[in-house]
Amino acid sequence: MPSINVNGVEIEQDEDGFIVDPSLWNEDVAKALAAQEGISELTEEHWKVVNYLRNYYLQFQIAPMIRKLCKETGFSLKKIYELFPSGPAKGACKVAGLPKPTGCV
Amino acid sequence: MTYFIAQILPYITVTVFVLGVVYRLWRWAASRIVHNITLSPFPQTKTEVAGIYLREILLFRNVFNFDRPLWVGAWPMHIALLNVIGGHVVGFYFLGKQFVYLGASEALSKYLSNLLGTVFGIILLAGLLYLLYRRIAIDKVRQVSNPSDYLMLLLLISIVSIGNFMRLVPEYGMHYEPVKEYFTTLILFQPAAIPEGNPFFIIHLLLAQILIMILPFSKLMHLFGMFGMRWIENRVYKEPAPGLPNVDVAAARARGTGLSSASSTDVA
Amino acid sequence: MPEYKGLKMPAKASAEEMRQIHIEPVPDDQKVEMAIQYLDEMRKKFRSFVLAMESCVKCGLCAENCHTYLGTRDPNNIPTNRAELIRKIYRRYFTLEGRWFGKLVGAEDLNLDIIEQWYSYFYQCNECRRCAHVCPFGIDTCEVTMIGRQILHWLGIVPKLHASVGAAMERTGNHTGLTKPAIVDTLEFLSEEIKDEFGVDVEFPVDKEGADIMYVPSSADFLLNPYTLMGAGMFFTYIGANWTIPSTITEAGNFGLLFDQQHTMRHNFTRLLHAAQKLGVKKIVWGECGHGWRAWKMYLPGMADLPLRWPITHIHDEVAYYIRTNQLKLDPYKLGRPVTLHDPCNYVRACGLAETMRTVIRACVADFREMYPNKENNFCCGGGSAILFDDPEMYQLRIKFSQKKAEQVRATGVGKDGNGILCAPCSICKAQLYPMVEEHELGVEVKGLIDLVGMALVWK
Repeated sequence: MPSINVNGVEIEQDEDGFIVDPSLWNEDVAKALAAQEGISELTEEHWKVVNYLRNYYLQFQIAPMIRKLCKETGFSLKKIYELFPSGPAKGACKVAGLPKPTGCV
Repeated sequence: MTYFIAQILPYITVTVFVLGVVYRLWRWAASRIVHNITLSPFPQTKTEVAGIYLREILLFRNVFNFDRPLWVGAWPMHIALLNVIGGHVVGFYFLGKQFVYLGASEALSKYLSNLLGTVFGIILLAGLLYLLYRRIAIDKVRQVSNPSDYLMLLLLISIVSIGNFMRLVPEYGMHYEPVKEYFTTLILFQPAAIPEGNPFFIIHLLLAQILIMILPFSKLMHLFGMFGMRWIENRVYKEPAPGLPNVDVAAARARGTGLSSASSTDVA
Repeated sequence: MPEYKGLKMPAKASAEEMRQIHIEPVPDDQKVEMAIQYLDEMRKKFRSFVLAMESCVKCGLCAENCHTYLGTRDPNNIPTNRAELIRKIYRRYFTLEGRWFGKLVGAEDLNLDIIEQWYSYFYQCNECRRCAHVCPFGIDTCEVTMIGRQILHWLGIVPKLHASVGAAMERTGNHTGLTKPAIVDTLEFLSEEIKDEFGVDVEFPVDKEGADIMYVPSSADFLLNPYTLMGAGMFFTYIGANWTIPSTITEAGNFGLLFDQQHTMRHNFTRLLHAAQKLGVKKIVWGECGHGWRAWKMYLPGMADLPLRWPITHIHDEVAYYIRTNQLKLDPYKLGRPVTLHDPCNYVRACGLAETMRTVIRACVADFREMYPNKENNFCCGGGSAILFDDPEMYQLRIKFSQKKAEQVRATGVGKDGNGILCAPCSICKAQLYPMVEEHELGVEVKGLIDLVGMALVWK
């Protein structure tokens, strides 16, 4: 099982790079996960998406509908793909420390 | 040896065949139809179901629609095989005079019997050779073949070749009457020796018996398998009635549900 | 991406994940023995399986009729060869000819390598049943895949994706892990979206006791398919129905059909019956989900362990009924885009929805173009049976599996101007085709069928 070391804390990841225990997430973890995704720097726009996802997850234990993510952040889906090349579910949700979505997604 | 092939083996053959088929069918019947896996579009009547069976059995419709090059060989081969087997039974029983019942003269009947036997025998052989060619030359067919698939074809080809040879080369041919007599003695459990001592006939008889004994333990049971499979997959299914409870669309539209002027709680 | 002697295979669920779906993985040194025992149990039970094992003549017809073989040209993806992976074991242990003549008839001893091959190739099968449809004898290789997957499940070998869905279903009542607050929040959001886009008031009642109709949507609709939920909501509102969505089973799918037709499938069935009883509904209407609709329509009646007191119909059947009886006013010119229809395999070969979908789509779309072959002859999207794996190698396979579908869509010409719609009314098809229309650059947008109904409704 792969893992990522952030500030001396070993954080376990699944095969697809999602962190196993979402409660260990913090901003430094996000930066480290973003680096794995090939995102060199998290801009304000990145943070807007990440923070929205994070807060939604803390409230509802699940990612929001993609349409809602776009609407609430004001970004088009295309823009989100520009920010997170692997897309909203596999890119943005991963950086925001959400578990990997399951089912027909 | 000839004695064994002609006077003992036939009884073993029939026993193995009957017990083998019963065993195999019993094994199939012992399992159950657990889920409804009917293929749609669903037949609505038993007649429609019978129609599916018939078009597949008589015309090989699926093969025709989804693999035409296969159909070109498989369908004529099977039709010829059916006629050749039928021809053996009818021809020997009526001594070639079966068409008299359809209004032909005796001579014409014998002529027709010979002609049909020759024609179907050749079609059958051509079909089998074509299927063997496919198994050897076409990638996708070669990739799905086991050694037994080739052996089965070779066995059939041998039987049919010898049969055709006897028909086409009169010196080695067999007449109807002695063969009928021989089979009559077999059926009466007083087996007589094979008449005329024709070696080709003996080999033909031997190979045919081997085929009949192998049949229950081979893929040649596909005739029964097809009925078994289609019995599960082609059956009548009736859809539940559509229409939703307590729904009156005209009233809802008159009320304007969904439109801002209407109260959203105002539902039936 | 686990590697095993060059076989392509999806990530496996861990032992811990298997325990969450009540399976204790069988240790390697017992796997072969247990697999034979399970195989023996299955063959004694399922006639469809026995006949698939014993009736094939190896004519090779199925090869060119399977999109996975067409896409990969891997001989083990020829349906009869896929079945042969089990058939050779079946022959060896359960037939006279296999015991006596072994290699000659293609019989083989079971070993761990073959079990890994099962895992690789039974999860490359889309369970689309095109092979059953085209086979001269009707041999259903899907039954073989299903039984192969069942045995693998009992051995403790299931893809992570399927196992996590099984666990999520048990935990939350849906595959994606939606909580009730999330369901309500998303539906409220969609009410606002409908108001903005269509100017009508649509409410989505959740867990409303005393409703007449229980609508069961696919949980993927809550993340990916907004218009499918919106269309259903608009339809029910338009006809003035007293309806509700249950939060205890917000799931049209049933992954039990795909990897565990015993415990997992039955568990989901029971959950539905409990929900219907609790809410006191009169009829259950199903959302857009292909494999799920097959499970609930065809398998539920034989597996329900409680009396089945509710008729269950598909929302397409209901919409088609109101169209045929002229009760819906639909404007096919509203959309103004060319549309083609991908027939979900389970709808057309297992559930008889081909004509129903056409009744609906013709009423909603002016420029509807058939793709060929269609209806029960269609080809799968390449995602069937939820092999929606996204590690790079499996993803490449998904692209190959969807090659045939891409050719079909291209031939319709709907994507020529980049504004076409590919209607694929099934959650798995949608999840597969969203990325695949981009990979194959088809110039189309993927939508469901109820989506188009919602867009075409004329309210005044």
